[in-house]
Amino acid sequence: MLIRQVIKSFYILMPLAILMAFLWAPSAEILGDFSRIIYFHVPLAWVSVLAFLVSGVLSAAYLFDKKQRYPWLDEKAFNSASIGMAFALLAVITGSLWAKLTWGSFWNWDPRETSIVVILLIYIAYFSLRSALAGNDRRGVIGSSYLILAMMTLPFFVFLAPRIYDSLHPETIINADRTPHLDDRMRMTLLISIFAFTSLYAYILHLMNRALAVAKRLEEEYHAAD
Amino acid sequence: MVREILRNLSKDFSVEFRTRFALNVSIAFAVTATVSVSLTAGGVPFPSLVQSILLWMIIFFSAMNGLSHIFVREEDQATALFLRITMSADSIFISKFIYNQSFMMIVLAVVTPLFLFFLQVKVILISYFVLTILSGGLSIAAGATILAAMVAKAGGKGSLFSILSFPLLLPVLWVSIFATKNSLDGARPADYNSLVFLLAFSGFISAISFLLFRFVWIED
Repeated sequence: MLIRQVIKSFYILMPLAILMAFLWAPSAEILGDFSRIIYFHVPLAWVSVLAFLVSGVLSAAYLFDKKQRYPWLDEKAFNSASIGMAFALLAVITGSLWAKLTWGSFWNWDPRETSIVVILLIYIAYFSLRSALAGNDRRGVIGSSYLILAMMTLPFFVFLAPRIYDSLHPETIINADRTPHLDDRMRMTLLISIFAFTSLYAYILHLMNRALAVAKRLEEEYHAAD
Repeated sequence: MVREILRNLSKDFSVEFRTRFALNVSIAFAVTATVSVSLTAGGVPFPSLVQSILLWMIIFFSAMNGLSHIFVREEDQATALFLRITMSADSIFISKFIYNQSFMMIVLAVVTPLFLFFLQVKVILISYFVLTILSGGLSIAAGATILAAMVAKAGGKGSLFSILSFPLLLPVLWVSIFATKNSLDGARPADYNSLVFLLAFSGFISAISFLLFRFVWIED
């Protein structure tokens, strides 16, 4: 029920976030209108991490759900990882554009940039592993085990590495005074945008899971007809 | 359980040292890579950062040539099923883990002196350098053991093991490279955070691997 409400809220939140980002939120003092990309780049990065975490949690549930009360959890974890991958790529593209406009080059090997590349490599490896296991009945278990390992290393890349090494990125999450330095309207727009992109993620995941259920049902009917 | 672990370890060492296939491949790779780099450099010394990166790349890929063999061999020789029904998953994981750690130590014992000799590397903080190499090797072998079990189930497909291991073990390589550079430069750290990180990572990944192994190993 809650998920349906979140999904429905997407229809309102996404147009609202776009309007607020371009018309309501003020531009930043030094960066000017370039700064508006923050309302897309940060939510994309947040949703990619969320999607990877969800895929890890679904994988753990799959391994512990011996009686298979919840069907196809491994496939749902794969769906979430796929969405995470797409969002992470978009976060890299928007981040590169922003980097070009503010730091002068598309890529700088900043710790956060390095981290996102490594995260992408981890999930590319996961997709390779799943392809290698095509037709193998252990595919779900092994893929899920790898996703759990991947989820366990995420905190190092997302939270630790950018804070251990010097970064060009502004520290909006944890500053020395522990407050984000954003104007109230900018903060509100960013929050709405984060909610909008989260609901977009829930919407896409819901659609993919429904398509999965339909495909599985068709497969069952096909085998039953044989 | 201890007896099972010792029995399996003794079997693994006997089988491996009968042919020494994995060890030979790893050491041959290490020697070829080190000599190639040295030849290409033509005696010109590299900066300490480049030396550290080269050393860890050679260690990593030498290890990748052999660490998966312990599980791939069981699947290839069709002995995995026998192991599965005669020993508990926990004993198997612990014995394979110890075997891989020993294998890694042998690789390190060969690669590191070779590298220091051929690339004329001068180590200023010797004890820090040795501790970094040992802790980094420990972390690589710890992370690679569960991945080797997964790759073996996927048919031990060639480069898949490196593709899976490299991004997951990148934090280890990252920290090891900078710690090695400091030991070559003589920059004694105020605290030994890098070593603590490497040991903590080994403990963390070993614990997760131990918990996950039974799912990967036991077939319904």
